[in-house]
Amino acid sequence: MKPIIIITGLITCCWLLSCNKYLDKTDPTKVNADNFYKDQKEAEQALNGVYGQLQGIMNNQWMFNELPTDNTTIDFNPDDRGQADKIEAFEFYTVTAGSVNIRDMYTAYYNALYNINTTLERMEPASIPDSVKQEYQGQLQFLRAYYYFNLTQYFGDVILITKPIKQLSEAWEYLREPQEKVYAQIESDLKAAAASLPEKYDAAGTGRATKGAALGLLGKVYLTRKNYPEAVTTLQQILPLGYALLPSYADVFDPQKKNGLESLFEVQYQGGNDLGEWSSFIYTFAPRLSAGAVTGFAQSRPGGWNTPTKDMIAAYEPNDKRKDVSLKEGYTNGAGAWVPVPYINKYNHPHTIYTRTDDNWPVLRYADVLLMLAEAINEQSGPANAYGYLNEVRERAGLLPLSGLNQVTFRAAVLKERRVELAFENHRWFDLKRTKTPEELALFLNAYAAREKADPTVGRQGIPYSNSDYIFSSFEALYPIPTQERLVNDQLTQNQGYH
Amino acid sequence: MRYYYLLFILMLTGTHVFSQQVSVKGTVTGPDKAPVPGVTVLVSGTRTGTTTMANGQYAIQAKAGDTLVFQFIGFETEKVTVGTSPLINVQLSLSNQGLNEVVVLGYGSQRKRDVTAAISTIDVSKLRDVPAANVSRLLQGQAPGVTVKQNSGAPGREFSVVVRGLGSLGAGSRPLYIIDGFPVGTSVGQNLNPNDIATVTILKDAVSTAIYGARGSNGVVLITTKNAQEGKNSMMISANYGIQNIPESRKTKVLNGPDFAQFKKDIFMDKIRYFEHREPSLDEVPLDFRYPEQTKYSTNWYEEILQQNASFQDYNVTFSGGKGDIRSLVSLGYISQEGALINTSFKNYSVRANIGGKINSFINMGLNTNISYSKENAYITEGRDNLVGAALLLDPREPVYNEDGSYNSYIGGHDGVFGFFNPVQFLNEVERGDESGDILSSGFVEFSFLRHFKFKTALNARLKYDSYKQFVPSTIAGINAPPPRDASEADNSYRTINLASDQLLTYDNNFGQHHVDVLAGFTAQEETVKGIDGGGSQFPDDLTPYLSNATLKTVSTTEYSWSMIAFFGRLNYSFRDRYLFSATFRREGSSRFGSANRYGSFPAVSVGWRLSDEPFMPEMPWLNDLKLRASWGVTGNNDIGNYTSLPLMALNNYILNNNFVGGKVISAFANPELRWERSKQLDVGLDLSAFDGKLNFTAEYYNRITSDMLLPIQLPAIAGFTTTWSNVGKVRNRGVELGIDYRTRIGEVGFNGNFNISFNRNKVLEIQGANDEIWNGTMYGDYNVSKPGRPIGMIYGYKVLGIFQNQAEIDASPTQDGAIPGVYKYEDVNGDGVVSYDQTDMVEIGNPYPKFNWGLTLGADYKNFDLSVLLLGAQKYDLFRQIESSTMNLDGVFNVGVESKERWRSESNPGAGKIGTTNTWKWSRESNSRYIYDASHMWIKNVSLGYTIPKSTLGFSQVRLYLSTDNLFLITNYPGNNPDVDNNGGTNPGLDDEAYPVPRTFSIGANLSF
Repeated sequence: MKPIIIITGLITCCWLLSCNKYLDKTDPTKVNADNFYKDQKEAEQALNGVYGQLQGIMNNQWMFNELPTDNTTIDFNPDDRGQADKIEAFEFYTVTAGSVNIRDMYTAYYNALYNINTTLERMEPASIPDSVKQEYQGQLQFLRAYYYFNLTQYFGDVILITKPIKQLSEAWEYLREPQEKVYAQIESDLKAAAASLPEKYDAAGTGRATKGAALGLLGKVYLTRKNYPEAVTTLQQILPLGYALLPSYADVFDPQKKNGLESLFEVQYQGGNDLGEWSSFIYTFAPRLSAGAVTGFAQSRPGGWNTPTKDMIAAYEPNDKRKDVSLKEGYTNGAGAWVPVPYINKYNHPHTIYTRTDDNWPVLRYADVLLMLAEAINEQSGPANAYGYLNEVRERAGLLPLSGLNQVTFRAAVLKERRVELAFENHRWFDLKRTKTPEELALFLNAYAAREKADPTVGRQGIPYSNSDYIFSSFEALYPIPTQERLVNDQLTQNQGYH
Repeated sequence: MRYYYLLFILMLTGTHVFSQQVSVKGTVTGPDKAPVPGVTVLVSGTRTGTTTMANGQYAIQAKAGDTLVFQFIGFETEKVTVGTSPLINVQLSLSNQGLNEVVVLGYGSQRKRDVTAAISTIDVSKLRDVPAANVSRLLQGQAPGVTVKQNSGAPGREFSVVVRGLGSLGAGSRPLYIIDGFPVGTSVGQNLNPNDIATVTILKDAVSTAIYGARGSNGVVLITTKNAQEGKNSMMISANYGIQNIPESRKTKVLNGPDFAQFKKDIFMDKIRYFEHREPSLDEVPLDFRYPEQTKYSTNWYEEILQQNASFQDYNVTFSGGKGDIRSLVSLGYISQEGALINTSFKNYSVRANIGGKINSFINMGLNTNISYSKENAYITEGRDNLVGAALLLDPREPVYNEDGSYNSYIGGHDGVFGFFNPVQFLNEVERGDESGDILSSGFVEFSFLRHFKFKTALNARLKYDSYKQFVPSTIAGINAPPPRDASEADNSYRTINLASDQLLTYDNNFGQHHVDVLAGFTAQEETVKGIDGGGSQFPDDLTPYLSNATLKTVSTTEYSWSMIAFFGRLNYSFRDRYLFSATFRREGSSRFGSANRYGSFPAVSVGWRLSDEPFMPEMPWLNDLKLRASWGVTGNNDIGNYTSLPLMALNNYILNNNFVGGKVISAFANPELRWERSKQLDVGLDLSAFDGKLNFTAEYYNRITSDMLLPIQLPAIAGFTTTWSNVGKVRNRGVELGIDYRTRIGEVGFNGNFNISFNRNKVLEIQGANDEIWNGTMYGDYNVSKPGRPIGMIYGYKVLGIFQNQAEIDASPTQDGAIPGVYKYEDVNGDGVVSYDQTDMVEIGNPYPKFNWGLTLGADYKNFDLSVLLLGAQKYDLFRQIESSTMNLDGVFNVGVESKERWRSESNPGAGKIGTTNTWKWSRESNSRYIYDASHMWIKNVSLGYTIPKSTLGFSQVRLYLSTDNLFLITNYPGNNPDVDNNGGTNPGLDDEAYPVPRTFSIGANLSF
């Protein structure tokens, strides 16, 4: 029996000596962030991860940027009312601070910002060539600015955080900052990004943020802040960078022609494989009962969300080539009957695997830049020098150039042009907010709502509207800070009108 | 007299000369000198035996020198050697078993009378008639302070066990299970055959659990398996066969076909009446439900998925060899339980070998090994989208089968009724199986040296294999998705290696009236799980349900492990058997905690005072033993994930230049300070034994405060994440437990009764700073809210004040946006004039914790019959009947409960006042007080009647036959199938979303021993 004692004793001793090692366990299937961001390769993976988070944010952005506007409505589902207080609330102006979609969006933005801030901080001491480091920093700053720009347009004053939180208690120390301060950060990030980002990457980098993207976004920031001189000079810096309108409007959205000459920045997706990077916008947008008639896959149960309104359809001038690319007014169902439920067609392209489409989402494109220039110049000095930019866009659409407008009518013409040119690209909500005071916005949206209510785009099968549906109050120009955030930190203020 | 004398002479002579058999007779009496009938009288070493008659007399053939053994339950066994006298009268003394028996404790055992801890021991042999497919069933109703609930009726499932209330808001609250000294985790699993269990001891207070350190907080369940009885070889066969059915009264009732058509028709017409203020014409009603009386089919889907007379089978053979130095026991078991739902089942095959004994005078060894394989064929049944819930919601106007006999595979999906899969087809065509193979082995060698010392080294190993496979063929519809669909398959397999080792040194000695025993030990344990998960879809057909045939495949592998090491010690000291003291200490390190807080210490002390032995106590002949005791100590809880303290990175890839690029993002907020929860528990107890041990009484008071709770605290989103694990807050559980045990014998009838009752009060003392509410739930589910001052996870929702009868009432009430007559009127809790459509105006509407739980076991025996009854109850607690958010969804998209006939239809036809209008969806389904039901209940859980065939009749040494019924009768006002249901469990208690129903079982069984 002696050997057993010896063996046991030895085992015991070994354990004693290697106790700490015995207790060191980490998930072998994952990397620990404490040991990451060490070199260029790791920093690049972190940067790619940050880009990857754009996909999730973009998948739902239509809900906040198109659905409340006169562009789109919903394919009302009388059978399943489960989305009544969720997605439908954005259409009917019944959004409350308890909205799960607002909360998810808010959370997703700050999660992305956390990764950006962490990567920026952890990359600093890493052994990465300076030129590469600057290029990475520029991209991260561009993305940070993009997120804050959206956040402040959604919520007004927001919490501004540019460093990762390390101690738990720190997270309660930040409160909402005046919009001015947020914009100052956005401008500083975009200026830095515009300075450090290349005009163009080698092929492998196609899709990353460029100098043009940073300038375009900065121009939009200036325009939003009504700083027209800066907007004009910033946007004009884009003109010599080699961007151009594609001859065919349809090509802009064609997955075969991703990241074309007209594209300043788009969110990248890829379908047709198992890599998990696909988009599936058409499955969200196609009419609810269209099954395979739109998507091409018979088992489809599309969402029927973000349905182009009659108002939107009527906004196209006759012979506008963009209309048929951007939307369809109905579909032919399996039984061969025409069903007049419209849908967005921009993101509808043939794909090989059910629910996995190849469509990118355009964020900034040259047509947007031209129309922003037209808007900024008109605001600064009237239409005289602005016609060219507007008419360049109209010409591609097969429309006659405009002339003889005054500053007010030109302003309206640009807004209308933006509506049809950039339809369903998540611009409308911000365009309306930029060009109207909250009171004007309320008048405008209530007028649209009255039209939609009188003659709904999609029938409601006899189900009446709720009394609260389609009443837009001016305070709703801002979204509410999520209830949950205010439960967690009771120092956080709410936007006026919400509770 | 002369005759007797003569006989005596003959006998004497015969004995002397031929060892002649003679007749011995006498009377057996009890301590009170009253005759005891039914006592077994055996001639040791032979098959000769008899029992005493009503007057306590017996007669038996024996030889001089033979030993007569007198045995009877509740009395000490007496042995008398036959001498010259043919008359042997015996006075039996009551068994003092309750005090002299040895109880199992952590890393050792102790005489029960010396125990100063709060522990409960369950003698499993009394529960042998219970049709139990899982060990956890045996704990039900047996011990005060131990709440055991059958949350689901799925075959073979483990019951939920909670010792002394929920101790944690964030980490687990399940006890640690230890099988023959091997800590196997917080689940006892499905691989241990209940037939193999000898005793179960539940450790409840700190002095008994602190020796398990960071795993002791939630109590410890020590399971000891059977060993061979010393000096005896035997074979035992037991068989139990039963049938299971769902009692009619426990079935959820929904509308039949014509009633549902009428309901749909009424909805349609009521809407026109309300919104268009006119009487609709019949032509306006869609044809599908225009003539309800012409409805072609009426299917009760719930009834269709039930398996009638599902079988329960349990067979076991145990060979036991107790003669000689090495004792061995081999047990073969087979349990097969069909489910209450068609095509669901559980099977377990097990082989156990427990071997132990002396190698020589100073070395003992033992090896217990259990090899088990189980297979479960069950489905996810909870919730409206799964089987049981769906069966309630399906359109009853559809048949199960088409005219041609094939399945009607898409139910509903037209005329505004949601489309569902056919649940009968689902149960029959979806292939699903959980398989588990498990080898659990514990071995030890013990050396005795220097008289008072022992050194024991134990090695425990578990190798476990779990696999799961499900194939959903293309013929199965989805919700609102008719077939054919893509077939899909999941195929996962996991393997677990758990190794543990204990080194124990004990010292035990008496110094005069002082008794000391000391334990010092070291333990280490490591568990590693490796798994591979495969998924596939788009199969060419349904004929080859293997991943290799799938067009699209996904695969992922996982691996995780944890480890712990600890030193511990225990000192037991007693003086004159009267003053008892015990102290334990453990220092433990765990891999699960942050690098900054890896080790912790867990001390505990207890004292006991045997008052009954004090000279100053007045002489009370009825009092056998009276002991006061108290304990205090610190225990821990490490039941959180393995890597929760680490900032791990998740893949988050992207596309650049239309090519895949790898990306990573941080997936959790790191907390290197993370450490175990700490529970400080005070326990004061009293043990009393009286009337010759017939009455035993135990009372306990405890107060356990858990602090530094492992809690996923809510973070401001700007931290990057909305939750992270942290050590915050305090929860208190305090309560009183009473247990009373009485056994007696009146004439030929023996009685025994055991009653226990526990009162636990749970209270959150603090969570974190100003942020001290945790909300979990959804608008159309319930909300469980934990906040200081109230118990964990109270049920929140709107408070229903009534139903709005007319517009005037709506106008006069706080604003409910979109309210129309017939919807619920909710309370405007914050008084701001608006009932907001979020959590603002929600209040506590239900308390899911019973005021008290109780269990009562009653037993009686008469001659060869024995009867035992187990009753269980829980009083005054609420359940949130979540399934009603679907079965009382009046949109007309689902079938609805029969209560809907009494709904509100107009001011003049307001129904029963509980169910609102069909005219709108808003202000009806939200979490509100109408879902709350009092679930107080008394359950006649088991009744068993046994008959022991007298020995002389057959060749066996004993044959016992019995009839048993499980879940016989439930007395409650609760409308659901099972008041023990708890769909979410843990800190989100009290939700009933229609679980797998619990059947009633009638079984017949036999125990044979040779």
